Amino acid sequence: MPPTASQNGAKSKAHKDDLDGLIEKEQLPSGREDLVEPLVAHSQRERILNAMAEACAKKGFGATTIADICEVAGVSRATFYELFRDKEDCLQASMELSLADAMGRIVEVYSPDKPWATMVRDATATFLDLLASRPDFARMALIEAPAAGGRSVEMYASGKRVLQALLDRGRSDPIEEQGIPSSAGRGALAAAESLIVGQILAGNTERLPELLPDIVYIVTIPYLGQDEALRQSREAEKSLHRNG
Amino acid sequence: MARATKEGERWKPPRGRHKLPPEVVSRSQRERLLEATMRVVAEKGYGATTVTDLTRKAGISRTTFYELFEDKEACFLAAYDNAVDGLVRQINVAYEAEERWPDRARAGLATLLAALAADPELARLALVDVAAAGPAAQRRFRAAVQRLTPFFDEGRDFAPGGRGVPANASRMAAGAVVGLISDELVEGRADELPSLLSDLLFATLVPYLGPDAAAREVGEVTR
Repeated sequence: MPPTASQNGAKSKAHKDDLDGLIEKEQLPSGREDLVEPLVAHSQRERILNAMAEACAKKGFGATTIADICEVAGVSRATFYELFRDKEDCLQASMELSLADAMGRIVEVYSPDKPWATMVRDATATFLDLLASRPDFARMALIEAPAAGGRSVEMYASGKRVLQALLDRGRSDPIEEQGIPSSAGRGALAAAESLIVGQILAGNTERLPELLPDIVYIVTIPYLGQDEALRQSREAEKSLHRNG
Repeated sequence: MARATKEGERWKPPRGRHKLPPEVVSRSQRERLLEATMRVVAEKGYGATTVTDLTRKAGISRTTFYELFEDKEACFLAAYDNAVDGLVRQINVAYEAEERWPDRARAGLATLLAALAADPELARLALVDVAAAGPAAQRRFRAAVQRLTPFFDEGRDFAPGGRGVPANASRMAAGAVVGLISDELVEGRADELPSLLSDLLFATLVPYLGPDAAAREVGEVTR
């Protein structure tokens, strides 16, 4: 979700070293504007994306103006328009980065060798931690984007489809699958999302990781049955205490 | 009020000087305004809607509007709650008419789907576009979902293993129902909502009964 965060392991480490190197060379000799400019633009872009999430969290995307965004970001209107076409374009850029980051992190814990339920638990825990660490982005991606119209809605929907595909893998090793509607995965995801969004709107975003046992229960029960879902939920509870 | 009105026509107080107590006039104006607000916002979107749009549609003066509400947002929030009240009342009547919890759930869901399918524009506003109306409206939407949880919570008493089910199950099940309906609305398939009944019933029952028993209940309904 955060546009600053890394994509994945080794590659981002190398990338980070590159960036550190550049920052160390901050006192670049004059005449190297070609190097400085992209760096400044990059950080301004990041500031604007952060500012938009912050402004949206207060007023909602609809009521947020470019002036609001510029004020929070501490950039001029001209800078905003150099980097983004309009408010929608800015939201879209933010969604792109947020999605890439969320997917990158989920891919990191995803492994076809893990039992399905373990994978679901790890992916859910990762996702909840990520949302909790960036409350404004969590709000933007899950609440504002789906209602904003245009590309942002599509990106929100495609993110959901990826999670659903992950979940539907449960159908290849289910205990029972007779009569289970094809919408079971979508329903389970909507159930989890609703609980998450409720917490965000109640101002409890930082406590999202505590929802892990409940979410593990609701997303595994259609596939694994109640006894096993309860067992997985208890495992999730234990993992929470181990890590928290 | 024994006054004949044509089918579908809302009774309005007589124009001009009349002896109706002011609070009656005001209540009727308020109701007209609330309905007009949902209609206009559903058509134009919240952001593009002006107070003038609302007063024009409701046939009330600007002065009356500001006597009733502070601003557009306050009016929309009241209109939204009013619409949700109506829906929950309808669901409740259908739900209470049945005995067993799975039957109650089916009846409630069928009523919800029929009501939403009958007015797709309003359905979309109530479930999807409400999020575009700002943080206060988003919280009202969440509160509306929360109002559905008692219908689900009864599964805890009905199901043999219900006691062990997480306390948040009802919130999640309500979220699943609303989410699956929203998916249809976003895809523009409001007229097909009634065919969603078995999926919604499964989503309602599965947290409490598990997949096997939930699928059996759903099968019995569709047969």
